[in-house]
Amino acid sequence: MTRRLGLVLPILLIIGWEIAAIIVNNPFYLPKLETVIPVLLSPFSDILGTGSLVDNALVSIERVVLGFALAAAVAIPLGIGMGRFAVLNDFFDVTLELFRPVPPLAWVPLALAWFKIGIVSIVFIIFIGAIFPILLNTVDGVRGVKNTWIEVGTTLGAGERQILTKVILPGAAPTIWTGLRVGFGISWMCVVAAEILPGPTSGLGYLIMYAYNLGQINVIIAGIIVIGLIGLAIDQGFKAVEKRWFGWRGLER
Amino acid sequence: MKSVKIAATAFIALALILVLLTAGCTQSASPSGGAGNASPASSSSAPNGTVGILETSGVGPMPSLLATGQVDGYIAWQPVVEAGVESNIGQVAVYSKDLPPTGEWSNHPQNVFVVRKDFYAQNPDFVNDFSALNLAATQYINDHPQESAGIVADWLAGKQNFTYGNVSVSSVTVVSNALPTIEFTNDPSDSWKSSTSDFVQALIDIGSVNGFVKNSSDRDAVLYNFQPYQNAEAIIAAKNVTTPTPLQNTVNVGYLMAVDHSALFVAVKDWQYFNDTYGIALKPEDLTAAKPAVADFLVNGQKVATVNLVPANAGPNLMQLAATNSLQMSYVGVPPAISAIDIGTPITIAYPIDNLGSGLVVTKGAPAQDWQSFAAWAKQRSDAGQPLVIAAPGRGSIQDVMLRYALQNSGFAVTDVKV
Repeated sequence: MTRRLGLVLPILLIIGWEIAAIIVNNPFYLPKLETVIPVLLSPFSDILGTGSLVDNALVSIERVVLGFALAAAVAIPLGIGMGRFAVLNDFFDVTLELFRPVPPLAWVPLALAWFKIGIVSIVFIIFIGAIFPILLNTVDGVRGVKNTWIEVGTTLGAGERQILTKVILPGAAPTIWTGLRVGFGISWMCVVAAEILPGPTSGLGYLIMYAYNLGQINVIIAGIIVIGLIGLAIDQGFKAVEKRWFGWRGLER
Repeated sequence: MKSVKIAATAFIALALILVLLTAGCTQSASPSGGAGNASPASSSSAPNGTVGILETSGVGPMPSLLATGQVDGYIAWQPVVEAGVESNIGQVAVYSKDLPPTGEWSNHPQNVFVVRKDFYAQNPDFVNDFSALNLAATQYINDHPQESAGIVADWLAGKQNFTYGNVSVSSVTVVSNALPTIEFTNDPSDSWKSSTSDFVQALIDIGSVNGFVKNSSDRDAVLYNFQPYQNAEAIIAAKNVTTPTPLQNTVNVGYLMAVDHSALFVAVKDWQYFNDTYGIALKPEDLTAAKPAVADFLVNGQKVATVNLVPANAGPNLMQLAATNSLQMSYVGVPPAISAIDIGTPITIAYPIDNLGSGLVVTKGAPAQDWQSFAAWAKQRSDAGQPLVIAAPGRGSIQDVMLRYALQNSGFAVTDVKV
């Protein structure tokens, strides 16, 4: 029932879009559905010589996964350390808070100078976008592990290593997972920013910017829809895992 | 039952949003309503009044801005000039060669080929051979305009249609119409040099250039090194090219998605012709790609280097990349090249790529068929307290500079439209 209810608004939005497009009657503000749907319905045919929607989506997903995995590999260990040891937290906190508000796009000129044109610059931009939500949630998750659990572990003779792997990590896992979920969402948002860098000739972000440079609004909207759909699908995956593995969180008291 | 209620509420909310949206859109679409806030004519001492210039980032948004009445015209490079015409949004008031002062821009420079100095010093043969390919490609465009239009439309748009609003136009038609408005030449002639110096002076006047170029006593030496051009000419004339030692590193060459850089597109796409005719070729690694990203540089059939073809949105980005050695060579507009050299980027202008090819497009049906009628229209609108707003692709771009000069020369004050 709830699933079906969730579909109501998107359908209303689509109907509303078409009505608005007819009323406005100016495709430069709002093109009609009919100009966008053909682009979406032929996902394997070439668009403006940049390759097909599917090709571009796969390229973007690959880049995002790389940047995201790198961010997770750095953020989770660092976050556990910062959550567990106050001295680490005090050491890193100010610096991280200094960099956190900087939008990934602001790094573009430096990324190009440091990492040159190519995949490394793109992955760097996505990495910057993904690392902070994962890190903050990990710190939060580790701190949120109940003291009584740790004390019980210590009383039963667990060492620091066992406390970490048997108590803290499982206890913090749901929050870390939320961080990963948010982080992936942001990585996916960064893909447009990363793919406007010079060099790439593929990817959904590149497709949107390329269409923009040629003023092709229907292609831009098709690109936005595909980015949204893929983001939705991935988020559903994260949610499914959350429900399956971390359902206990809602039950514990 | 509950879900029905929620759906109904959502629908009402949506309808409200739509009404607001529609009202907003139709209002701003009314004639000259959204034309920015250029100062009224009364505040100006210029005899003919005021014209506002709106700097957009690049040319992409221009046809849309014109179609939605947010500007009264735009000055752009190709294919956006012809695209505006073909899609029935606008008409060409004047091509850049006919902008005043009379004769000043009749052969104005547009794009050049730049090379990093250290790269040329280390790989002179490679740069010379690559330049010979550029010269041959320029010749090809002039000899085979139809084939070239097909190739360029394929590179820019996969030969597909451009869609502007309700109108779909063939990219091949747009490019075919655009090519004759551009003069493709690599000859750094005296008139080209003098026109470029005018340009340098214009950039100094508007404050875009105030470093090495401005302060140098010998500006030509700072800006140019025509050796690659001279050597390339010799290679073409001798019909004989010596194979250089293969390069260890990949070479990155920058370009823009503009008709101006057609020489690169034809060289890559019809590589077989250049290979057979001149013994020099840029063979794409992916022969099926519309815009290949990697090509092998072949001399006498032997691979000399791997070349990455790096597109960017605007010339200044390319020059920034050249500054950090991310690019070794680039096709680029004259102003970004001059500005880059001015701030100390270690590049040199090796030869022109093309001249002319910009155009001033105004609203379809506007009383402007040439510069004189455009000026009369601008005066009339200024007198009526609704000065024209013209979009230009960025401060200090060749189009921006030419338009400002032309307006000032015709007795207009230019104001920057702030949005």
